[in-house]
Amino acid sequence: MFKKFSGEDVSAQNQVKASVQRKIRQSIAEEYPGLEPVLDDILPKKSPLIVAKCQNHLNLVLVNNVPLFFSVRDGPYMPTLRLLHQYPNIMKKLQVDRGAIRFVLAGANIMCPGLTSPGGALDEEVGAECPVAIMAEGKQHALAIGFTKMSAKDIKAINKGIGVDNLHYLNDGLWKMERLD
Amino acid sequence: MAEKPQPVRVLYCGVCSLPPEYCEFGSDFGKCKPWLIKNVPDLYPHLLQEATEKEADKVADKLQSTGISSGAGDGAASSAPKQEEVKRLPGGKIKKKEKQEVVIEKVVRNKRKCITTVKGLELFGVKLSDASKKLGKKFATGASVVKGPTEKEQIDVQGDIAYDIVEFITETWPDVPETAIFFIEDGRKVPAA
Ligand SMILES: [Zn+2]
Repeated sequence: MFKKFSGEDVSAQNQVKASVQRKIRQSIAEEYPGLEPVLDDILPKKSPLIVAKCQNHLNLVLVNNVPLFFSVRDGPYMPTLRLLHQYPNIMKKLQVDRGAIRFVLAGANIMCPGLTSPGGALDEEVGAECPVAIMAEGKQHALAIGFTKMSAKDIKAINKGIGVDNLHYLNDGLWKMERLD
Repeated sequence: MAEKPQPVRVLYCGVCSLPPEYCEFGSDFGKCKPWLIKNVPDLYPHLLQEATEKEADKVADKLQSTGISSGAGDGAASSAPKQEEVKRLPGGKIKKKEKQEVVIEKVVRNKRKCITTVKGLELFGVKLSDASKKLGKKFATGASVVKGPTEKEQIDVQGDIAYDIVEFITETWPDVPETAIFFIEDGRKVPAA
């Protein structure tokens, strides 16, 4: 999604109305209850919330020019990896084995066998169409943000094909966009 | 209310920007190594050992690279300054292929928009800020000196000017021979001459 993403893909940046700002905060708080206590630090009520509309139905939520969340079409807001690294426990996690790391970092979607092999790990509670942090065998930090195509149980049972869509990964265009000026 | 979690401060690699544990999967692990040895020596313990082993090869490398560059100097650019033959990377590793040449590459940024990057002019004693101004003026476009991926400075010129640029370079800076100018095309280096 962000493989070739840059400032030029941003078509419009707008400060959103207070009502919209409230809605965004609310849906982020609902999706990531762990963030609620720090939401005022991350999205200070005083700082204007900017929504940048980009190509491919993509929206970025920015505060002080820093991208913090993104959403696709009307899907859930998902943190950028830089934000997730600061608050690593706000998302459910799936872990790929070491062999899958380089594919994920090249932007490939996450295949079921990479999650079910001995190096992988599945949180059984993860349902289908759910934002997840993609972790890796032997590594401390998330390497991608994904959106599950099937539940963790199905990933285990079916064990074939794409289990999770890779939306945002280390070193993609969004990662490189530390700030949008 | 739940306890307020403190943000984790993650140290990112000063070279490739990834968390250091992922440097080994980055595009150029070699370039990260000096930084890793200095900043997170425990993460890749074998690196330190590797570095000490390389120390022994260094002298040989140095001799070799001097040989190469003086050879090239005989052929083409004898008038150019020679002081930049051996450059040291932060970790003390010697950069081998510091050949005196100008490399031009067209980088497509977004569908039709592209920039042309020019690397290496400084090796011919050209001041980059001055060169960037001249290029911008000549091609009526934006040109700027930026830090390239290997922390060396390069000039980025907006637009595709790759083919007109060779003549301009050789005319403006006679010290740069056409034979020392190369293009990167489809990932391959081809001589401009
Ligand atoms: Zn690195």
